[in-house]
Amino acid sequence: MNEVLSAITAVCRRAAAGDLEARLPTIGDDATAVECRNALNDLLDISDAFVREAGAASAAAAQGRFHRRILTPGMRGAYRSAAEQISASINEMSRSSERLAEATQARLALADELEHAVLRVSEQVATAATEMGASANGLADFARSAVTDAERGLGTVQSLRIAADQILTAVDLINQVAKQTRLLALNATIEAARAGEAGLGFSVVAGEVKSLADETSASSGEIMGQVNRVQQVAADAVAVLEAVTESIREMSGLTNGIAAAVDGGDELDGLSQLAEVLRSEVSRFVATARQT
Amino acid sequence: MRTLRSRPTGIERTFGPDEIIVTKTDPRGVITYANDVFLRISALTEEEALGQPHNLIRHPDMPRAVFKLLWDTLGRREEIFAYVLNLALDGAHYWVFAHVTPSFDAAGRLVGYHSNRRRPDPGAVRAVKQVYDRILHTEKGHPTTRSAVDAGWRQLEEELGPRTYDEFVWSITNRTTR
Repeated sequence: MNEVLSAITAVCRRAAAGDLEARLPTIGDDATAVECRNALNDLLDISDAFVREAGAASAAAAQGRFHRRILTPGMRGAYRSAAEQISASINEMSRSSERLAEATQARLALADELEHAVLRVSEQVATAATEMGASANGLADFARSAVTDAERGLGTVQSLRIAADQILTAVDLINQVAKQTRLLALNATIEAARAGEAGLGFSVVAGEVKSLADETSASSGEIMGQVNRVQQVAADAVAVLEAVTESIREMSGLTNGIAAAVDGGDELDGLSQLAEVLRSEVSRFVATARQT
Repeated sequence: MRTLRSRPTGIERTFGPDEIIVTKTDPRGVITYANDVFLRISALTEEEALGQPHNLIRHPDMPRAVFKLLWDTLGRREEIFAYVLNLALDGAHYWVFAHVTPSFDAAGRLVGYHSNRRRPDPGAVRAVKQVYDRILHTEKGHPTTRSAVDAGWRQLEEELGPRTYDEFVWSITNRTTR
């Protein structure tokens, strides 16, 4: 009897110390002894099973192997409720893990979208910048040739004024000649009258010369009026051309500003470089977003 | 003493839903402890079971590849869950959902293996049996044990596809026992 009790004590002590390998060997053949031994070993078996299940199921969950569930069959009473509690915790862990995975998925999708959008925008900006640069250069060329043309127009009008001045000088000379001719005709008429009958024919010629001189004078006056009008118009043309040239010079300055903004210049990034900076910054950001 | 090998009779035996079949072996697989449920279902006495290698209850319809997987897994000091068909000494057979774990002492040294076996769901057994039968068929076509295990192993990997055996077992278990 004492040997049996010692054996039971030894097994219980080992089990209490956490050695669940301990089992009670046979303590006799009679029904009570067999029943006692089975009962003690059942207790050890169920404790052993629970400890193995609880440890391994928790470890599996910690490794993310959520498909490995804790097994409740064979567990009764407090063992079962504890096992069910562990099972519920693992389910909650599994759901959290799924939510985390979903959030990660959403973040990756957002990163993809952002990357696509920025890529598209920066490509469009680069294209627009190239086009704007080309347009600005075209405009600058156009402005330069317009200024040249206007300057040539100014020169032409200037020549016109000089020519008009020369015409006026010439007409003035003709007027002097006409005046002197009229004076000569008058003298000739007086001399013809003094000659009497003999100067009659000469008097007619002198009258004709005088009327020619009068006509010349009248024509010269008309020419002078017209030349004066030409000079007036030429002065107007010069004013207009100068205003146009000034406007085009201003436009040329604005166009150069646009070209500088697009292409970049001293210590300034152009639109294309800015688009590239934006693209690379976003790429870096997106790469970080994907990693974490 | 009775001979410890028998021919399958085709009679199926089951056990209670809250019963656990428990055995312990030493590191070589020799039985060191068997509970009363094991002895009753396997139709063995304690004297017959203790000291015998665990393949005492091996059923000829179990693919060798599954046991290779079991010992490979335990060799990595990992637990394994497996559906296993066992043979009782009287020729009856019984399916179990086995959980086999290595046992360590306080210093972390391997002292043996422990197996808890529960009553499987009949639906799970049907699903597993289809896979096992195909592997077994492959193994039977090979003359040597070695080549049979190799062929069975390849067949097992093919059956599992991208999943591990663990994932396969649990997909069936979680589907049927809810």
